[in-house]
Amino acid sequence: MMRNVGGVIVLSLLLVFVQLAAGESFSPPGTPKNIICRSPEKETFTCWWEPGSDGGLPTTYALYYRKENSDTVYECPDYKTAGKNSCFFNKNDTSIWVTYNITVVATNALGRAFSDPVEIDVVYIVMPNPPEEVTVTVIEDTNWPFLRVSWEPPEKADTRSGWITLIYELRIKLENEDEWEVHPAGQQKVFNIFSLRPDSTYHVQVRCKPDHGFWSEWSGTTFVKVPDYFPRERSMWILIAVFAAFIILTFTFIWLSYMKIHNLKHYVLPPVPGPKIKGFDKKALKNGKFEDIFSSLVVSDFPPTTSNYEDFIVENLEVFVPEEQELIMEDSKDLQDDSIKSENSTCDNDSGRGSCDSHTLLIDKGGGDKEEALQSDQEGSQDERVPTSPEEVMEEDLLACCDEKNSPDISEKVKFTPSLISPLPRYNLMNQPNPPEIGKKHCLSDSLLNPDSLPSYFTQPPSTKNDFRSNPWECNFNHKQHPLHPQTTGKEHLQVQNEISWVHVDRTEASLGVQAPSVRSTEYVEVQRVSGGNMVLLHPVSAGQENSGTMSHQTEHYSRVKTVNNDSGLLLLQKESTGEEMGICLSEEEVESRATSNGYTASITPTSEKPMVGINSTLPILDDRMASGYVDTATMFGLPTY
Amino acid sequence: MDRAILLLSVMCLGVSSQPITDSQRMFSIAVSRVQHLHLLAQRLFSEFESSLPTEEQRQLNKIFLQDFCNSDYIISPIDKHETQRSSVLKLLSISYRLVESWEFPSRSLSGGSSPRNQISPKLFDLKSGILHLIRANQDAEELFPDTSTLQLAPYGNYYQSLQADDSLRRNYELLACFKKDMHKVETYLTVAKCRLSPEANCTL
Repeated sequence: MMRNVGGVIVLSLLLVFVQLAAGESFSPPGTPKNIICRSPEKETFTCWWEPGSDGGLPTTYALYYRKENSDTVYECPDYKTAGKNSCFFNKNDTSIWVTYNITVVATNALGRAFSDPVEIDVVYIVMPNPPEEVTVTVIEDTNWPFLRVSWEPPEKADTRSGWITLIYELRIKLENEDEWEVHPAGQQKVFNIFSLRPDSTYHVQVRCKPDHGFWSEWSGTTFVKVPDYFPRERSMWILIAVFAAFIILTFTFIWLSYMKIHNLKHYVLPPVPGPKIKGFDKKALKNGKFEDIFSSLVVSDFPPTTSNYEDFIVENLEVFVPEEQELIMEDSKDLQDDSIKSENSTCDNDSGRGSCDSHTLLIDKGGGDKEEALQSDQEGSQDERVPTSPEEVMEEDLLACCDEKNSPDISEKVKFTPSLISPLPRYNLMNQPNPPEIGKKHCLSDSLLNPDSLPSYFTQPPSTKNDFRSNPWECNFNHKQHPLHPQTTGKEHLQVQNEISWVHVDRTEASLGVQAPSVRSTEYVEVQRVSGGNMVLLHPVSAGQENSGTMSHQTEHYSRVKTVNNDSGLLLLQKESTGEEMGICLSEEEVESRATSNGYTASITPTSEKPMVGINSTLPILDDRMASGYVDTATMFGLPTY
Repeated sequence: MDRAILLLSVMCLGVSSQPITDSQRMFSIAVSRVQHLHLLAQRLFSEFESSLPTEEQRQLNKIFLQDFCNSDYIISPIDKHETQRSSVLKLLSISYRLVESWEFPSRSLSGGSSPRNQISPKLFDLKSGILHLIRANQDAEELFPDTSTLQLAPYGNYYQSLQADDSLRRNYELLACFKKDMHKVETYLTVAKCRLSPEANCTL
């Protein structure tokens, strides 16, 4: 016995000595650390500790605990169930609402080490197991499938009796993502997830926690694949359609508002031009008396037999005087006065803007050029207007010099209503194969006769029977020319749109010149003769010449009609050379072939191939004032002084 | 308002032929109230503990073991088995006693922050609710045998034994005990409720 003890001591000393000789040092064990106790179901619990250094010697660990209000020290009943360095307390050893004081002791050959005591209450260390039986299904009842996640509480946790109350939480993510989407689920065991991405795989995990405790570990990942689906949201398409329609309507309204209603109306419903037939009684037409209407159109002495063109010289030029001057026409005793006057103030719808307030009046700027109202000294005065004597006319024209009254353009301009220039079908003397004697056509500008007393360059003698004045700018041939009318109608002639109103300058002593607006001088051109084949001889009346009348009578000037505007204008080519005859020769070909500078072109049905004779220079007639579409004959006839 | 609900429930109890549904609702109300009280106690305790230096925390932990809670005299089941073995009425009565035992000491807890001031009235309301529940379930159960235990607990002795030396320690004890007792009541009431509910799966 003593030997044994001695032997052991010697051995241990030798061992220590050997170890010391070997350079190693033995030490008492380090203190165990981090004692963690957990209870999965609030019925049992387990404690784990972290052993310290063992000091190089085999070390044993022991766990001792004390319950509150008791000094009895108990040792851990089970070291094995929970694994290494653990202690398992079973149900019999577990008390709830009782504070445990737990200490772990490490022992080796050299010493002992006591860990720090840990106080636990089982109630507050509950960490359940993860939920079990996590199932995820894809519900595809509607166009929008969703996921339904369901699970069961961990087996050990007794939630049925209410001993443990668990709340759950789940998280989901796409397969290739890193971020989880966490959804708290409360105490329910079912959860729906919407807004899925089609044709993708999701990962789902669930965990739980008692009302006072720790979260469990996440359950195992459950994979679910969402099938491919196309969400057809009907309401979305309806919304898109409504929105698109709204946008289209908005743009349409904006476009319509920009487009002037007037233009639109004209675009959709172009105005129907009224009949501009001299002698055509609209009212009679309305009454239904066709016989009277057509009979009025028939002129007895058509075609004119006289070859002297002078017979057809119409010397009616009406000049609109300024406000303080009366209209020339007012003095007229012509039969047409009333009608004219009545129509003076009316603005024909067909006449366009020029009929009423056209600014395409020439302004007489020339020093000596004055507007004069030329009056016709026609043989037949039955249809003549402007009874005023040339002297009177001249007088008034002088007064109506636009130089003096230059302020408002309108007052000093000769307003040519479209009718003045508009070629009336029956006035298609050009179409006459042999219209040798075509009297001058008096173009009356109704607008000139408006109460404003606007000076007018030309006056249009009304026809004998023209009580109708749809177009104030009608150019009426003198009575002698009336016979031409019916024939013209029967002839192939200018198209309606190519009505050419003849504007002629009366040979008056008035030295008026109709000039282009640019020249600012007006000259009167007198239609001397209308030759066959669409030729109109214009006789310029040189301004400032007393005997212009005679001279004009003698001279003839041919001016080529450049273009004929659609029922509005006649563009004449002005011949530069003075003294030359100037006439208006209408040649459809030429007219057609030429385009005005302003673009006033009128296509005239060619009935005569005779080219124009005496080409004159282009009349700088067209200007912006003719933008209204009506050519002022005055402007057309802007001629240099002859 | 709580009293109104409770009164209404009592009236319904008297008239209705389905007392179980009413008691379930009353249980739910009581459980939610005690849960709130428990959370409050937990928060107060953790605040108090965090306000202490670490060293004192350890000391207090050690001391706590040697002291008693004022409600220790009340014998209550301390594990699941015992709890499930107890009847609903017993659970209710124990809960009632626990709550009642804190009615007086909770006034010492009051003062300072507003949550502390709410403890006493809430305890009172909870006590009334539990009493109603007891009366509602007492018909089905036999009369409580040991009515003597319903009397006021001799907690006054406890406080007389205590020497008001360390207010810090006392506060610590009060808060810890309060927290524990509230959790007890919560557990008992939850178990009692789940036992009475017809659904097997007591997840409410």
